[in-house]
Amino acid sequence: MWKWILIAIVVIGTGFLTFPPKQKIKLGLDLKGGMHLVLKVETNDALNMETDHQILRIQDLFKEKIIKYSSIKKLGVSSFEIEGIDSSQEDEIKNILDQYFIDWDYSIFSNVVRLSMRLNIATQIRDQSVSQAIETIRNRVDEFGVAEPVIQRQGMGGERILVQLPGVSDPDRVKAIIKSTALLEWKLVVAGPAPSEEALLKDFGGVVPGDADVVRGDPRKGVEGFYLLKKVAAVTGKDIRNARRSTDEFNQPVVSFTLSSAAGKIFEKVTSQNIGKPLAIVLDNKVISAPTIQATIRDQGIITGRFSIEEVDDLSLVLRSGSLPASIKYLEERTVGPSLGIDSIRKGLTSYLIALVLVILFMIIYYKAAGVNAFVALIFNMIILLGVMSYFKATLTLPGIAGIILTVGMAVDANVLIFERIREDLRLGKTVRAAIASGFSKAFVTILDSNITTIIAAVFLFQFGTGPVKGFAVTLIIGIVASMFTAVFVSRNIFELIISKRRKIEKLSI
Amino acid sequence: MEFFKTSNIKFMKYKYLAFVLSGIVIALGIISYISKDGFIYGIDFSGGTLVELAFKEDTTVADIRSKLAKVGLGDSLIQRFGERNEFLIKTQRISEKKFEEERMEDHERMAKLIVDIMRTEKEEQELKKGKIDLNNSNEIRIAKIVENYLNDRKRASEIAKKIIEYRNGRMGLITNYDELYNLRLDGKIVEGIKKDSFLGSFTTLGVEIVGPQIGKDLRKKATLAIIWALLGMLVYIALRFKIQYGIAGVITLFHDTLVTLAFISFFNKEISLNVVAALLTIVGYSINDTIVIFDRVRDNLKSMKKHNFEEILNNSINQTLSRTIITSGVVFVTVVILYLFGGEIINGFAFTMIVGVITGSYSTIYQSCSIVYLWEKYLRKKRFK
Repeated sequence: MWKWILIAIVVIGTGFLTFPPKQKIKLGLDLKGGMHLVLKVETNDALNMETDHQILRIQDLFKEKIIKYSSIKKLGVSSFEIEGIDSSQEDEIKNILDQYFIDWDYSIFSNVVRLSMRLNIATQIRDQSVSQAIETIRNRVDEFGVAEPVIQRQGMGGERILVQLPGVSDPDRVKAIIKSTALLEWKLVVAGPAPSEEALLKDFGGVVPGDADVVRGDPRKGVEGFYLLKKVAAVTGKDIRNARRSTDEFNQPVVSFTLSSAAGKIFEKVTSQNIGKPLAIVLDNKVISAPTIQATIRDQGIITGRFSIEEVDDLSLVLRSGSLPASIKYLEERTVGPSLGIDSIRKGLTSYLIALVLVILFMIIYYKAAGVNAFVALIFNMIILLGVMSYFKATLTLPGIAGIILTVGMAVDANVLIFERIREDLRLGKTVRAAIASGFSKAFVTILDSNITTIIAAVFLFQFGTGPVKGFAVTLIIGIVASMFTAVFVSRNIFELIISKRRKIEKLSI
Repeated sequence: MEFFKTSNIKFMKYKYLAFVLSGIVIALGIISYISKDGFIYGIDFSGGTLVELAFKEDTTVADIRSKLAKVGLGDSLIQRFGERNEFLIKTQRISEKKFEEERMEDHERMAKLIVDIMRTEKEEQELKKGKIDLNNSNEIRIAKIVENYLNDRKRASEIAKKIIEYRNGRMGLITNYDELYNLRLDGKIVEGIKKDSFLGSFTTLGVEIVGPQIGKDLRKKATLAIIWALLGMLVYIALRFKIQYGIAGVITLFHDTLVTLAFISFFNKEISLNVVAALLTIVGYSINDTIVIFDRVRDNLKSMKKHNFEEILNNSINQTLSRTIITSGVVFVTVVILYLFGGEIINGFAFTMIVGVITGSYSTIYQSCSIVYLWEKYLRKKRFK
């Protein structure tokens, strides 16, 4: 009796979990429509920025402590060297480095100091930049109002981020918002604009000076040509506290921003020292405008450029949500229209029903009354499968539907194994009761063995797979486990119920 | 009803014939693989751009190709699918540059280009007039034009949502404005929509862009997944049976994978993620039969001590034959149904499964058992000496 209670609890319970199916069963992007993006965070950017920052710091420190050197050269993303030091000051330098640069390894030979970031620190910065990027993207997606987005890191400690946005109605705009690094920098202009790189570098003997970079203007913002800008940004978007749309004196839309107090102080220093000179506003490594500094700017200002209202809104949004700590590269992007998904569901459902009817018909024709047993098992199997999927919030994908259809075929295997064993034993002349008992116990080991191997394969598939295929692996695993329960446990109880009703049975309909 | 009441087929007699047959299929597969310059990979593995379009009227692959040729994409892979006018356009090339060096932005631009070039001249003119394409516009844009005739933003966006839902249910295409009356829309609004929009000749069902890095990674991951799964099987069977059974089982699976891949090459099927999923499923499924028979062999080794090993094997196969045929038959039926009714996306999966199910049943008898037989025979001879 307790067995029937258990079965009832499992079936009714899982059935309840699935109800109402429209809300409980989570559909994958391939069925619901939406966007699937895989991004890569260029973590080198973050290291570069940190190194630039440290170079700036060491310059200040050396100036303060009156330490002579001829130049500083960057060697890679996380190393640089200071050339032309005075060997008599070596001890002082060591002191400074030991005290202020604990995250850096250094070596001194003759008049060169070479610094490189410690490996664990570099890893930490990379790692942080990815988590920060995830946070930033989440903020942006939330501000944009996408329901049930998925934003997660791919793999352990990887540089990739998976973003899934179901049912986005304006994919291009969302994509632009996520993608926009919004790496906003204010950089002092050394020279430019010039129509070509050669013209720009004429005064510098055709060589880019060590502390500067050539940056292009953004023609879409009405800025043409090339600029020579200081390598190190005076202030970056990281320091922005708030940003919103406003208008300038010409009634053009601009972004007005507030900086953090620390950044405000730096900004004040830079602008006060350079009044009358142009300061370039660089967005994602393109000059969007280069206004002349009219007065000292502290912690409030505006970003001008030839913006549309929509662009200003989007830029404010991304600045508010924080700039990305590093630029982002798209590795994969898929947009699935919802109509495709509706069609897939329809086809999947049709295939499922046809398969179910054919398999059940066959089982009943071939195994007669015992086939009905398989029918009950299959229906229970489906209820349990969907219930467990709802419980674990597993996503149903198109390959997942294929997996369910496949379990219809595979689930009867357990029934077949048992029925065949029972038939064999009946043929050997065993009584019905004995045949059922030995059929179940003998077949059980086989069922277990054969199902475990399928589960092993499905687990590897889950490990390997991307969204849709993962969905397949999940339905396959749950389906197989459920089929063991239904074919072995439920089916056995049905048999027992039949034999217990009559005292004597000579024939079994199988 | 029973198919095989008491069969007594001497399966082991034909083992060498089976080896030769499998050898031939695999060899032909290798020849096909080499002569066709490898497999055709789906976008997941090859990377590239894939655009899926559905047209309102009858369109042919040639029509699409000639349009694409205008922008230098005439060599794209164009596939028709579904009973409707649905097409899949896949292309890797953008410029003379190597695919690996291309940027996603270029691909994005190309995807747009493919869609744009499909527009007819008339549609271009309508767009220039400021009308929107009702079959390709999103909710926000449709709501905007509805708003022109209804000073209620909330209602307008509700109507736009209704139109989109209706469109989704019709494979993304509205063919006639009169259909909008089915949505119980006000005549004035329908007339307004009619004025400010046109019904495009096609709709974009989906766009997929996969960068080269992803493709490379996935290929590696897929290969590893299959190898690990095979090793997993080996360990499990070796633990449950003897090591020679495990090795025989895994060789069989390897055989199944190769034969299935050979058929994929013969029929020019694409290797996609779904196909890899099917291959892994076959690895898990095919071993079922093998285990069922090995299980029987283990039983019979105890009860048939007087018989020789070949008889035991034959007996075990015969005893389980009924089950093998029924189970594979049922699974076969389900995958055939998937193949016929499951739609284009699942087609490659279903095809692979069909081949795999047949191969799996055959190889269980003729590869696993034969290998175990030969191995045991060799061991016994050694012991005898």
